[in-house]
Amino acid sequence: MSTVSKNSAENLEIQARLDRKAARKNVFDMVIPYVGLIFCLVFFSIVTNGLFLSSKNLMNMIEQCFTLVIIAVGASFVYAQGNMDFSIGSACGVAQMVGGLLLLKLNFPIYIVIPVMILVPVASCLLVSLISAVFHVPVFIGSMCIRSLLAGLLTIGVAKAELIIPISDYPVLSNDAVKIITLIAVIGIGMYFFHFHRVGKWAKLIGGNQVTAAQAGVRVKNQIFLAYAILGACVGITAVFTMFRTGTVSAQSGSGIEFSMMLAIVLGGFPMSGGEKSRMVSAIVGAVTVTMLTNGLALWGIDPNIIGGIKGVIFVVIIALTYDRSAGKLVS
Amino acid sequence: MDNEIILSARRVCKAFGPTRALVDVDVEVRKGEIRGLIGENGSGKSTFSSIVAGALGMDSGELFLRGEKYTPKSMVDAQNHGVAMIVQEAATLPGLDVASNIFTGRLEQFTKAGFLNWKEIYAKADRILADIGAPEIKGRMNIEQLNFEDRKIVEIARAMVNNPDLLIVDETTTALATKGRTLIYRLIEKMHEENKAVLFISHDLEELMEVCNTITVLRDGVIIDTLDKSNMSVDLMRSLMIGRELEGDYYRSDWNGRMTDDVLLEAKRITLRPYFKNINITLHRGEILGLGGLSNCGMHEIGRVIFGIEKTLTGEVVLHKDGRDVRIDNTVTAVNNGMAYVSKDRDKESIILNSTIRSNIVSPALKILSRTIGFISPAWEKQFSDRQIKAMSIKCRNGKQMVKELSGGNKQKVVFAKWLGTDSDVLVLDCPTRGIDVGVKADMYRLINELKHQGKGIIMISEELMELMGMSDRMMIFKDGKLAKEFDRSPDLTEQDIIEYII
Repeated sequence: MSTVSKNSAENLEIQARLDRKAARKNVFDMVIPYVGLIFCLVFFSIVTNGLFLSSKNLMNMIEQCFTLVIIAVGASFVYAQGNMDFSIGSACGVAQMVGGLLLLKLNFPIYIVIPVMILVPVASCLLVSLISAVFHVPVFIGSMCIRSLLAGLLTIGVAKAELIIPISDYPVLSNDAVKIITLIAVIGIGMYFFHFHRVGKWAKLIGGNQVTAAQAGVRVKNQIFLAYAILGACVGITAVFTMFRTGTVSAQSGSGIEFSMMLAIVLGGFPMSGGEKSRMVSAIVGAVTVTMLTNGLALWGIDPNIIGGIKGVIFVVIIALTYDRSAGKLVS
Repeated sequence: MDNEIILSARRVCKAFGPTRALVDVDVEVRKGEIRGLIGENGSGKSTFSSIVAGALGMDSGELFLRGEKYTPKSMVDAQNHGVAMIVQEAATLPGLDVASNIFTGRLEQFTKAGFLNWKEIYAKADRILADIGAPEIKGRMNIEQLNFEDRKIVEIARAMVNNPDLLIVDETTTALATKGRTLIYRLIEKMHEENKAVLFISHDLEELMEVCNTITVLRDGVIIDTLDKSNMSVDLMRSLMIGRELEGDYYRSDWNGRMTDDVLLEAKRITLRPYFKNINITLHRGEILGLGGLSNCGMHEIGRVIFGIEKTLTGEVVLHKDGRDVRIDNTVTAVNNGMAYVSKDRDKESIILNSTIRSNIVSPALKILSRTIGFISPAWEKQFSDRQIKAMSIKCRNGKQMVKELSGGNKQKVVFAKWLGTDSDVLVLDCPTRGIDVGVKADMYRLINELKHQGKGIIMISEELMELMGMSDRMMIFKDGKLAKEFDRSPDLTEQDIIEYII
C-alpha cells in the first residue's frame, strides 16, 4: 500500500497555509479592539464636526476616562478569575454618600474621610465574594442583590436633599496633576501585580481552572477575596475623585459604571471567562472606547436614554461575535 | 468470504486550526470485516471514526458507503444510513429514562395522533436491550438508576436501534468491566456472522489481536500500514504506532524491591466516608508504593486525602520533611512542602486546557520563581518551562502553544513537567498512564523509575495490575475500602494471585 508522506511538497504547503491562517486569526483578535477605538475616534470627530476633538471635550473625556480606567485596572483581577461584579456602580455612589455625610454632617477631617471612602467599596466587594464563596450563590446573582441593597442605602442617604460638597475647600483633589499622577500610579502598580506578580498569575490560573489552581497550591478563596478587595479599592479611589469633581452626591451617583465596565471588558477583547488570555491593557483600551462612545453619542445629540440602549445593542452584538462558545459558560 | 466493500474512504483530510489530524487517508472496509484502528493519541483514529459516524465534517476527500457517495450530516443521519458509533465518554442524557436515551433524536417516529406512543417506545426499547444481551435493563428505568457500565450498555443499544451495517466502537471497552466487554464482543461476533462490518478502536493491543481480522495503523494523521491476521503481532503494532523500536524493558527491569528505611510520609488511621476507614500507609524514600483494586475500592480517594484535597475524618497524614513533621490537610501545605499530585481526571483537574504549556508548567512554581517584592520575570518563566519541555521531550511548537491542542500523552507530560519543576519529594500519581499510548507510557515508566532512584517517594494508584506489578516495590490491594493484602515486589507474583484479593 502507498504510504502518504506528511513531508511531501504539497502537504508542507498545506501545513504552511494552516499555520499562516492561525497566526492571522491571532493578530486579528489582538488588533480588533484598537480598530474599534480608532473607529470611535474618527466616527465621532466626523459626525460632530470636530467638536469631539475640541480641547474642552478632550479634557472632559480625560475626566471621564479617569474613572473607568482606574476601575478597569481593579476589574481585571476579578474578570481574569472568571468572576464579575454588578454592584460597583452603587458601591461608588454609597462611598460618595458616606464621604459626603462624614464631611458635612459629622465634620470629619478629610484624611479620615478619604480612607473611609476607599474602604466602603472594598467592604461591599468583599461581601459579594463572600456570598458567592460561602453560600455558593453565583456571583452574578450575589452582586445583583448587593447592588439593590446599596442602591437602597444611597436613596435613603440622599432622600432629604442632595449632598453639596464644598469643592473649593479641597483644591488638591480636583487638581489635574494629582489626577494624572494617581492614574499613572494605579495603572503602573496594577500592571505590575497583574503581569509580573503571582497575584495576577494566580488570578489567571483560577480563571482557567479552579480545581487545577487549588491542586497547584493556590489558596483559591483567599485570592478571590483579594481580587475583589483590589476592585473595591479602585472603585473607592474613583469615588473620592468623582465626588470632588461633581460636587454633589445624588441617587444617580455612580449609576451605570458596572454596565460600562462590562462593555469595556467586551470591547477591549478581555475574555469574559477570564484565564490566561486576560490582559490588563485590553480592559484599559475597552474603558477608553466606552468613554468615547458615551461622550461621542451625547455630543452627537443622542438622547441619554437611547445611549444606554445603543450600548446594550453593541454589547450583545460583540458578545455574539466574539464569545468562544466552546470555552464554557459565559459567567460562572 | 464476500469481498464486497461496505465503506471506502478516499483522500480524507481534516485539520483543527493549524493541526492536521488526517492527511489523505484511504481506507476500505469489507463485509464481514472486523477492522481494528490503532495509533497513539492524536494519531487521528478518533477523528476518522467521528467523520464516518457523522459527528465531524471533513475538509476534503470522499466517503462511499456500499458504493454510493456518503456525506453524513449528523450522527442521526449516519445512523439512518446504517453507520452507528459507540463512543468512549459517557454520552447518556441525565434525567431521562432509558428508552428516551435509546431513541434520542428519533422519538418522532413513535408519534400517534400528535402524541408519543410510550407503550410502543418502551416495548421496542426492551426488545433491543434483550437482543443485545441485557434484558435486565428496562426502557422505563431512569438513566440515573444505572451505574456507569449499564449506561454504556444503553449507549450500545442506541447504536443498534437501526441494525447498522457498520458499527464503530471507539475505545469503549477500556471503560467497561467483564459484563460490558462480553456483551460488546458478542455483538461484534454477531455483526461478523451477519456479514456486516465493525471499526474497532482500542489501546489494548492484545484485545485488538483477539477481536479483529485486520488492523490499520495510523500515525500523525497518516496511514502507516494495514496488517491482517497472518502478520499481526503486538511488537510490530507497537513499533509501527510509535515509529521506532521500543528500547529496553517496558516496566522496570530489576526485581529488587528495596527502599530505604527513611520514612517520607505516613497516613495514620485515615478515614473518608463512605470510601474507606482507618487506613494506615507508610511511604519510604526511594519507594514506589502501588495502590491497587477495583475502581470503587477507595484507592483513588486515599490519594486525594494524602494530598490534602479531601480531609480525613480520623487520624492524620504526616509528611516528614527535613526533620520536621508537617500535617497535610490541604493542598497548599502539600505543595509548599514538596508534594505533587497527578489526578485521574487529567483534563478536569490536572491541567488548564485553555492555557499555554508554559503557564501550566510554571503554575505550582510561581512562589519559587518570585524574587524581591514578588517580581516574576517572563524570561525566568520561559527558561523554567523550556527546560521542563526539553527534559520531558514534550511534542509541541513552543511553550506558548495551547495545552488543549496537544495529544493525551503530551498533556500528561505537561502534568509531570510541572511537578518535576518544583522538585517534589512525594508524588501521588493517580492512574498516571490512563488513556496514554504505549510510546509515552514507556517514557513515563522510565521517568517514575528514575524518580525512585533519585530518592523520591511515589504512590502509584492504578487499575492496571500489570503496571502495578511491573513498577511497585510494594503493593497494597484494597477491597471495599479496606486493605485486602500487601505484596512485596517479586517476579513470581502472577495476576491471578492478586485478583483473588481484589474481587
